[in-house]
Amino acid sequence: MKLSEDDIYRTSTQFNHWSFTTQQLAAQRLKTNMQATERVKANVARQRAQRLQQAESDSLSSGVENGSGANTPLPDRSSDVKEVDCLTAEEELMIVDEFCERALALGAHCQFPTEVTASCVQFLRRFYLYNSPMTYHGQNISRTAMFLACKTENAHQSVETFATNFSKTTAEQILAPEYVIVQGLRFQFDVKHPFRGLKGGHLELVEMARGSYEGPNNIEDGMTSADLQARMLTLPRKAHEPSAKTSMQDMEKRLTSAYGFASHILKNAALLTDAYFLYTPSHIWLSSHLLADEPLTLFYLSIKLPSHSPLYIKLLSTLRSCAALLSSHRTFNAQRSPDVDAKHKARVKQLIEKLKSCRDPDKVDLVKLNQAQKRDAVEGEGGFDESKAKRRKVERETYQKESDNFWGPELPKA
Amino acid sequence: MSKQPTRANGASTKRLAEDGGASPLSKSLHGLSLQHASRPPAVADSSSDICPVCKSSRYLNPNMQFKVNPECYHKMCESCVDRIFSHGPAPCPIAGCARTLRKAKFRRQTFEDLKVEREVDIRRRVAGAMNKKEEDFETLMDYNDYLEQVEEITWNLILKVDVEATEGRLRRWEDHQKAELNPNARRREFDSSVPTDHVVLKKGATQRKTAAPASTPQTIANEMNEDIGFKFHGLKKRVAPPPEAPFDPFGGWSIAPQYYVLQDDYEVDWLTNQKNDVKHSVGGYDMRDFYNRSLREAFGGFGVFIEDEINARGTPSLDPHVGTKQAASVAVGARDVNMDDVF
Repeated sequence: MKLSEDDIYRTSTQFNHWSFTTQQLAAQRLKTNMQATERVKANVARQRAQRLQQAESDSLSSGVENGSGANTPLPDRSSDVKEVDCLTAEEELMIVDEFCERALALGAHCQFPTEVTASCVQFLRRFYLYNSPMTYHGQNISRTAMFLACKTENAHQSVETFATNFSKTTAEQILAPEYVIVQGLRFQFDVKHPFRGLKGGHLELVEMARGSYEGPNNIEDGMTSADLQARMLTLPRKAHEPSAKTSMQDMEKRLTSAYGFASHILKNAALLTDAYFLYTPSHIWLSSHLLADEPLTLFYLSIKLPSHSPLYIKLLSTLRSCAALLSSHRTFNAQRSPDVDAKHKARVKQLIEKLKSCRDPDKVDLVKLNQAQKRDAVEGEGGFDESKAKRRKVERETYQKESDNFWGPELPKA
Repeated sequence: MSKQPTRANGASTKRLAEDGGASPLSKSLHGLSLQHASRPPAVADSSSDICPVCKSSRYLNPNMQFKVNPECYHKMCESCVDRIFSHGPAPCPIAGCARTLRKAKFRRQTFEDLKVEREVDIRRRVAGAMNKKEEDFETLMDYNDYLEQVEEITWNLILKVDVEATEGRLRRWEDHQKAELNPNARRREFDSSVPTDHVVLKKGATQRKTAAPASTPQTIANEMNEDIGFKFHGLKKRVAPPPEAPFDPFGGWSIAPQYYVLQDDYEVDWLTNQKNDVKHSVGGYDMRDFYNRSLREAFGGFGVFIEDEINARGTPSLDPHVGTKQAASVAVGARDVNMDDVF
């Protein structure tokens, strides 16, 4: 019984629960948006009705009972009835993208390792697949997601230290939505990144360039590694160009620059698009390498797979579509036009303004919600009633006492 | 037709006569007995109430207990056993019986009839050695022959016919069986001189007889033509269970990379620092682990086409078994889940 690399990947949660087709992704986003919209509308309506009731009872108690006083609420009510203008699914996605970009900037600002930032961005994308930014604001969620990513990627900081990265943010605020996020991620913290895979591919390419490659070879039977090296050194510089002879040093330089470019794509465009949902990490690094240096990547693929096998053809078309997705992103071009950037920024700013007016009023204060769920929380709109909390407290104390009777009380700390 | 009732009649009249004959005597005995209530009915026989060694009777000592030794089945009281055998093995005090007895072997008899007691002991011993089952034989005929032979051995021992020879054969058979079950135990026996059950008392010190030639250890080489005491026709050879395979924590699974072959070393500039760093090598860090991991990740999912596989899977990844139930309900529905406190 043998397991290949593909079999191992198939066991991952990323493949089993966080891989989608394009249609599935779009459908899920639409569904999330619809549910969130309904909720926002219902909650806002309820809140308005409450406020109105409050105002009426106030006016009653104050004893203002003349004709003009009774008439005044009417125009107010008609203005209130105006529907909340909720975000559409596309607008939501744009906001999520914006917060992902901000998370990248935050990671760079805090000088976290690449994996931490990348995991944080993926956490955000996964979380907002099933939750709407109207329900949970990106500002709060991205901070906590970053904190979670620090923990999952072995770069842990204490909450207090972490909170010092932000002005006017307490540890409590960071911890408040943690359980919500973890639940939204369905307790699956493993994100498979393409970074290390790119390194592995680079290692093999360098070995090929030096003529000491020992792996499988599908170009020709009986080809030695020296032949392979010779073949590699005559590769064309760019696609659709005649082959040109290069020295080994030049080839190594070419490999390094290809690696650098591919790595740049992985750290930006790959994170900010849906690539992680749609493609495997292996496909992602290969297509970014394809964007960086096409002849090299094709040569590498032809070594790994016989170039007329159906798998090769299918793989290449998948890589090309992934590469198209990566190159379609704004950050792909290093010298992006400031015009497009400015337009994008203006649009995002407008959307964030719009978000302010259509947030779910129940989920604005996450800290308070979190408090209400904790033990001994007394009276809150979503929390327990007082008697229940009290009973639990008493029960816990008797339990503690019983265990102390048996085991003895806790030792005093020296 | 006419015979049966008469026979039944005859039997019943006979029993009546026996009962009628016994009842006046037992009645008179009952009348005579003073300790009828306290006496156990099993030892009602008056002759068993007197110890043949010290002649003390139960009349004087109501707590008297009788014991026997399976060596010769002579009965004696507990105090005699204590007195005679406390200081080690001694000959049986009954006249005409000079067998050496040990205190440890004395026990209370289970059956009133000592002959039955002895037969049960012998049967137990033979059954311990001859423990083949029907499955061990090729045919039912062979098994029945074996049972018959066993019964013959038993009766030989019970009737004291050829006891020495039968005992020797039985012992050899037992040794053979043991050796077959556990070949290592036999090799251990090789060094130690084997003590036998026969012990002769000599000037207060025990001297062990050398082992009988039958039980002397033999090398495994001539095991084939060894005398194993008995030969049964149709007895299947015992097949030793196959040796246990070494434990495999992966249950037979292994990782076989499909698209790469791991090389011992990869020459790249950006790894030279790590390779030569003492801090890494001292901790036991092996660069090959890094190479292997990065290559495995490079090709993890190389041949996995998500769109195809998801379509083949049929159901989207929203199945209710994902994660915990609550998490799934959150993922699907719009409701939050309260983290419930156990108290």
